Amino acid sequence: MSKTWERVIQENRKDILQRWHERGLGLFAEKMSAGTPLGEALADGMGMILDGFGDGGETCREGVNRLARILAVHPFRPSRSMSLFRELQTILFESASPGADRELCRERIEQITFDAFDSFMEHRELIYKLKVEESRSQMHMLLRRAGT
Amino acid sequence: MSKYLPKQADLIKEFEEKPSPLKGDYADREWWEMPYEFREGNFCFPAKPEVIEELGFPNPRKWAVTDDDWKLPDGWQKTLMDGMRERIKKYRSLKLYLDSCVRCGACADKCHFFLGTGDPKNMPVLRAELVRSVYRGDFPMVEKILKGFAGSRKLTTEVLKEWFMYFYQCTECRRCSVFCPMGIDTAEITIMVREILQLIGLNNNWILAPVANCNRTGNHLGIEPHTFVQNIESLVDDIEELTGVTVNPTFNRKGAEILFITPSGDVFGDPGVYTMMGYLLLFEHIGLDYTISTYASEGGNFGFFTSNDMMKKLNAKMYHEAERLGVKWILGGECGHMWRVVHQYMSTMNGPADFLQEPVSPVTGTKFANAKVTKMVHIAEFTADLIHHNKLKLDPKRNDHLRTTFHDSCNVARGMGMFEEPRYILNKVCNSFHEMPENTIREQTFCCGSGSGINAEENMAMRMKGGFPRANAVRHVREKHKVDSLVTICAIDRASLPPLMRYWNPGVSVYGLHELVGNALVMEGEKKRTEDLRENPMTGIEEKEGDVD
Repeated sequence: MSKTWERVIQENRKDILQRWHERGLGLFAEKMSAGTPLGEALADGMGMILDGFGDGGETCREGVNRLARILAVHPFRPSRSMSLFRELQTILFESASPGADRELCRERIEQITFDAFDSFMEHRELIYKLKVEESRSQMHMLLRRAGT
Repeated sequence: MSKYLPKQADLIKEFEEKPSPLKGDYADREWWEMPYEFREGNFCFPAKPEVIEELGFPNPRKWAVTDDDWKLPDGWQKTLMDGMRERIKKYRSLKLYLDSCVRCGACADKCHFFLGTGDPKNMPVLRAELVRSVYRGDFPMVEKILKGFAGSRKLTTEVLKEWFMYFYQCTECRRCSVFCPMGIDTAEITIMVREILQLIGLNNNWILAPVANCNRTGNHLGIEPHTFVQNIESLVDDIEELTGVTVNPTFNRKGAEILFITPSGDVFGDPGVYTMMGYLLLFEHIGLDYTISTYASEGGNFGFFTSNDMMKKLNAKMYHEAERLGVKWILGGECGHMWRVVHQYMSTMNGPADFLQEPVSPVTGTKFANAKVTKMVHIAEFTADLIHHNKLKLDPKRNDHLRTTFHDSCNVARGMGMFEEPRYILNKVCNSFHEMPENTIREQTFCCGSGSGINAEENMAMRMKGGFPRANAVRHVREKHKVDSLVTICAIDRASLPPLMRYWNPGVSVYGLHELVGNALVMEGEKKRTEDLRENPMTGIEEKEGDVD
């Protein structure tokens, strides 16, 4: 993608991250505090997405995974969780000059949101898998004796 | 310190305007107006009626937490209030804790459930306030003094359900108590509220089913004596196959010097069984004269999460068996709440155990003066003493395929003050050990998020949230030191940390401390060791990079 949006992020990274972080913290009941481990983890994941926004490479994907992992374990509806990425688009648009190619940014955000949704669903499914695996671990010797 | 902490000016502004635990939609309202919702993943299933009947507890019935009607008995408010009055009179600590909170908020951000969920009612101060508000409203003198000063509430069905939700979102880990300037132990409030809730049949099947099993068979899993023996013999076979060494545990042997008691998870569950193999190798290595009871076949005590009376009953078997078998003292395996019960309650609850002797290591001659009253020694103390006296032949390179960190179990760390012994052992049996950040270990350790009997599968999402602060600290050492092994000395940790790691830190495995001891022990007559106790290949640390602390 063009360097426009990377430049917008580079020039306004602190402000963009702070505003996006605020929105993320606001997802939680009565707002999560920024200095908590979870607040920090959200900021770290968001920072990775901003740093990898241009190329959508490993850093960006890892950031998306980290956010999705956090969101999937909370009782928000998937749509509410995914709205966090839409928030980034709004903040980026507000940070860019009027002439910036908004369609490019929209496409990038859309791709990130799709990736996040995949990861979100994988993690929700993982919670169900963990339940099954834990039951098996508890019955380890019984299952072993039964030859399974 | 977090770089995201609010600025001092913002805090002053908030303090001057209106400090409140609520910052979102309910910021202008009272905390008790904030709704709560039972939904899949944030509660444990209630005890089955047959389990309640077996224990002779009140109000056995079929019900679901998500039902509107919880089928409470007639006069349930009176039963609960009478129960609360009785306990406030009986336990001075409870009255003190209810009366002395100044709501300073020092505990607020110390609870792993608050940190993991962001739910203000998981702040220890507000969790306790759920009860204090009723205490104030229903006790005339307190109400008279505080009328118009602080919120008080009547005990309604909604309040009761709120109690059930939030007192089962506390793991009694006591991290909050470390930071309370008044010394309030909110865990004790949780313990009492859970006990009171039992009076009207509000409970948790993951706790009560093991309690019923333990009451019947002596262990939480309900393993009958012959199965208990067969499981251990099966582990003996595994040890022989892996090491070429035959270990020789004995069962219910009268006249043995030491009775060994460990959580039943070590005999049945994965990865606990590998810790058990480590114990067996250790005892063989030093030629210990010990026996295992198939009746006192459980170190853990879910009675502790039920009621004081049930805790006492389930604990009593330890001394009963020690006396019946005529041993000199008791050696206890790796467990959390077992040790809290032993350390804090056993001697006065079921002692004095005058028929036992002050524990002395038969190998080193060390007198365990700290166990003079209970006559029970922690395996980590016992093993650390052996290593300190050069009584074990260890090859730490055999654990070079693992890069470890250590999770202090709440009950052993905060409940007993045991910090050094496990670290001493770990440093002797492996070459790669890295501490997690200082504010997440030792007395400040973060709970696994599943203690005190809430590690039910149906509660998995809540457990993942409650365990997040611990997982986050593990992530830190994983990224910094490539740590892949989380070592612990608690059976509930061994059961609950694997899913927590799989969710938050894929690639990190969970080990009992004595599993690593078992890997490192050089046994007489052993064959060449190429696999660890899990049958994973032992590879050299030189194959991994950057092992610098």
